[in-house]
Amino acid sequence: MSTNRWLATGNFFTSYKEEQRIYRTHLDRSIFIVFLAVLFIWPLFFPVKNSTMLVIDNVMIAMIAVLGLNIVTGFAGLISIGHAAFVGIGAYAVGTAVTLLGKNHELIVYGWPVMILLGGMAGAAFGALVGLPALRLKHLYLAIATLSFQIIFEWVIMLMSFFDQGQTIAVGRVYWFGGKVLRQQHYTFWYYAILVFLILCGFMVRNLLRTRHGRCLIAVRDNDRAADAMGMHPGFTKVYAFIVAGLLAGIAGALKAYLDRGVGIESYTLHTSIEYLAMAIVGGLGTLNGSLWGPAAIQMLDLRVEELAELSGHYLPAELNLATALRPLTFGLVIVLFLMFEPRGIANWWRMFRSYTKLWPFRY
Amino acid sequence: MTTLTVSDVTLTFGGLNALTNVSMEIKPGLITSIIGPNGAGKTSMLNCMSGFYHPTTGSIKFGDQDISKAPPHFVSELGIARAFQNIELFAGLSVLDNLLLARHRHLNYNFFQAIIYYGKASRVEAENRAFVEDIIDFMELEAYRHSVVGNLSYGVQKRVEVARALTLNPKILLLDEPMAGMNVEEKEDMVRFTSDILIDRGTTVVLIEHDLGVVMDISDQIYVLDFGEMIGEGTPEEVAQNPAVIEAYIGEE
Repeated sequence: MSTNRWLATGNFFTSYKEEQRIYRTHLDRSIFIVFLAVLFIWPLFFPVKNSTMLVIDNVMIAMIAVLGLNIVTGFAGLISIGHAAFVGIGAYAVGTAVTLLGKNHELIVYGWPVMILLGGMAGAAFGALVGLPALRLKHLYLAIATLSFQIIFEWVIMLMSFFDQGQTIAVGRVYWFGGKVLRQQHYTFWYYAILVFLILCGFMVRNLLRTRHGRCLIAVRDNDRAADAMGMHPGFTKVYAFIVAGLLAGIAGALKAYLDRGVGIESYTLHTSIEYLAMAIVGGLGTLNGSLWGPAAIQMLDLRVEELAELSGHYLPAELNLATALRPLTFGLVIVLFLMFEPRGIANWWRMFRSYTKLWPFRY
Repeated sequence: MTTLTVSDVTLTFGGLNALTNVSMEIKPGLITSIIGPNGAGKTSMLNCMSGFYHPTTGSIKFGDQDISKAPPHFVSELGIARAFQNIELFAGLSVLDNLLLARHRHLNYNFFQAIIYYGKASRVEAENRAFVEDIIDFMELEAYRHSVVGNLSYGVQKRVEVARALTLNPKILLLDEPMAGMNVEEKEDMVRFTSDILIDRGTTVVLIEHDLGVVMDISDQIYVLDFGEMIGEGTPEEVAQNPAVIEAYIGEE
């Protein structure tokens, strides 16, 4: 065994199993466990407004969705402009169940974890379907195929009376061991539910990346000719990437349906797709922690911009309508700036921070 | 021990015959070289063998199995691995990850075991790592294990390329100009690796190489191509005496 499992210094591996570990030192692992514990207990000590909690919940849902997007765009290198549609599939899986069974059916209000997994599976199934062009198409052409899926999805929802033409389909209040989850607890309850799903999804992706099922994604991204020679079917690997992305997006969508207590098309439009893509880029494509940084950063920016717009509303003439212009403007600006100056995203700052603190207090 | 038999293969690209009625036999336990001037169709031949091209007519058989229409991932599973002429590594990954990737087909845990990563997946990965370390040891890549492939020197990248093909644990290894662009020292190393691959690991080697000194030294059997046609075959001594080969290489007297 290695001599010192607590610090990076003097910590060597004597078996391959030891080197597989996610956390290289006990210290890293302990910090992470404490961090998780803090995530679970802080709402008990610092109760926040429902509106604040809603923002946090939405950020975490976006994190799950962007995890999925990062699988397909970051790791497998396939640009997907239809990710919001996959999220929408998850949400509308819940919406369909509500329409068929009624909004307070047992499966909806008691079996919500099952519904969320079903949403994930629906997303995965559509992922497989949309991924099929990947057997033939590459690069931008494939991106256009995902874009067309986004458009088809929106039109289908908006034209079918089954989905209420995109109007909100209400979802009932869920039950938990303590009984019905009421309005006051709603956002905090879903904070915990989403957190659990986020942690599970995060670990799923983390584990995937250290096995053949994750490595094959990177292989087809970097060089699909060589991947072929190494015994991977490049086409099916890409379809598989879409399936995993669809799974995560579906879970995110089903969670969003429950959080919003309704399913409406406006949360799953092309605009949202682009937003997910921006989150993935700002966070850092092809990194796991980037999928967490991105949504948080974009959402923070969005709030600041809103404040700014509100503030400027007091001083500028109303017809200038800065608020509507400012959001897309800053949004685009941030993407461009990141692409120019930090294409590896916030995850790269995190990496630099980690490598700096790794050997602290020693400089080398 | 399986023989790779190429019979009457013609490969046509829109009116241009890259290969015309080429037949050869890759016998197990030998180093077989394919030589010829630039554009003779050597790499096309290798592409046919590894499934990247499919011959227009003729057949390629590995043992009894016809692989002339088989895709590359199928061929590699049968036990024919190749190293590319222009380095085709996964440039953003470390040497270790590149080699682990090549074990794709040999890892027999499923998706759900992978996402839990406890028990089987973890155990298989550890065994897999041990196998890969064996190859790293064999190809003397220990010092570069964790380096990103894109940052390594050309000679080392070529070595990683061969190592990755070896990691597939093939019966036949196709090497496409493994010594091109190397200095004498690296070349000597590569020659040593090539003969060790046969002697220590029992892997049949098919070699494309321009350095005739090397080819004459280590080959057991040589096939000579020129303009897509076979102009000579035999042991190094026979080929060196063959007037058609001499003409193709140095012209008429």
